[in-house]
Amino acid sequence: MLKIRVIPTLSFNGFALVKTKQFENPRMVGNPTQVARVYNSRNVDELVFVDIFASKQKRKINLAVVKQVINECFMPVTIGGGVDSIDDINNLLKIGADKVVLKSVALKNPNFIREAVKIFGSQCIVVSVDVKSVNNEYKVHHYDSEINRSAIEFIKEMEDLGAGELFVNDVKNDGMMNGFDVELFSILCRNIKIPVIASGGAGKPEHFSDLLEKVNVTGVAGASIFHYTQFTPFDIKYAINQINLPVRLFDYHLSEGVNK
Amino acid sequence: MVAIIDYGMGNVASVQKALHFLKIDSKVTSNYEDINNSKYIILPGVGSFRQAMENLEKRKLVSFLKEKVEEGKPFLGICLGMQLLAERGHEDGLTAGLGFIEGDVIIIPKTDLPVPHIGWNNITIKIPQYFDNLKDNNFYFVHSYFFNAKNINDISATVKYGNDLVAVVQKNNVLGTQFHPEKSQTSGLQVLKNFIDAYA
Repeated sequence: MLKIRVIPTLSFNGFALVKTKQFENPRMVGNPTQVARVYNSRNVDELVFVDIFASKQKRKINLAVVKQVINECFMPVTIGGGVDSIDDINNLLKIGADKVVLKSVALKNPNFIREAVKIFGSQCIVVSVDVKSVNNEYKVHHYDSEINRSAIEFIKEMEDLGAGELFVNDVKNDGMMNGFDVELFSILCRNIKIPVIASGGAGKPEHFSDLLEKVNVTGVAGASIFHYTQFTPFDIKYAINQINLPVRLFDYHLSEGVNK
Repeated sequence: MVAIIDYGMGNVASVQKALHFLKIDSKVTSNYEDINNSKYIILPGVGSFRQAMENLEKRKLVSFLKEKVEEGKPFLGICLGMQLLAERGHEDGLTAGLGFIEGDVIIIPKTDLPVPHIGWNNITIKIPQYFDNLKDNNFYFVHSYFFNAKNINDISATVKYGNDLVAVVQKNNVLGTQFHPEKSQTSGLQVLKNFIDAYA
């Protein structure tokens, strides 16, 4: 049976790991290589490493840093940040990335998704979308305020273009640690057939099980919960397992004890 | 020495890193002499079947790899590299594969589960030869197509995703894993080690 993935997200500013609140006020939280090493030793299911300022600052993610991060990892690693060409994707795959995250390019040039899928296969193309409710409608949030799109339409378009997976960020709950917006994810996931990773709002393990009880996503992501609390990815899996959903648990995890 | 075939299709670095961790020498190469001098061949791969076969053809590797397998060199295909072992691929039109193991690579049949099949899933082992000393039988999968092997005796493990899909094929000196051993932490590293040890 396929396991639900619990995925730590590492957001990077080109220099250090940072964590935002509602996409603002990035606060430095550590060194990517060290953090990746810890997650690898904890046998996490997957790691997402994204340079969240690359597109805005018109640069590419630093490949030397990506390489150091990937070298720590014997699990899948998904990389993003300023990726907008076939060469960019090639460069990331060459140093061991398993999947790439595309965001700005998907909004500005949707056909690029089709082209990338044709070359690399849909399984390695993840489209990230930041969602915010505006006047009771879910809109795509982007630093370029010219972009005004319905999130539901955009997600559907990405699926039709062949994207292999969606990484959905809830902007309002980013870094707030008060729980996921269950309604947002259930509405966005409603007619979507490709795997979805839900992100934004987790502060304790029960937040994940609350979401998964109601919404059928294949992956859940967290950042603040790992930077700022005692909880580990294992504690979250334990909570998910308590509602009888499949996760990867190891005996040594259980013997270490659970944080509650 | 392990020759990791370099044909412009993805995750060679991860495979090399995993072998390095296991203290096994490897070389990323598409050179005949390097491959001849290696004891093992690993064919990784991410991408589409058609593109992969074209890339192998361009490097004049298709008949050369066939020769090496017939000579008895241990050969491991990973993910797309496993699918290429088939006779035919149906991704992006019909393409002839390497044909080491009978069968076709077809799209994962539609159920209510999302395709691609992405994530950790447990396998059911049919032939235990390469699965000694596993602490856990979850492996990392990421694929939209699967190897519909013709002969049940060539299937050494399956994975349940709606239907039972072929997870591992083997025939004589050829092994193919649909999952990524190099990305499957301790279990994956163990399978790589078992493959190497089987011919050490």
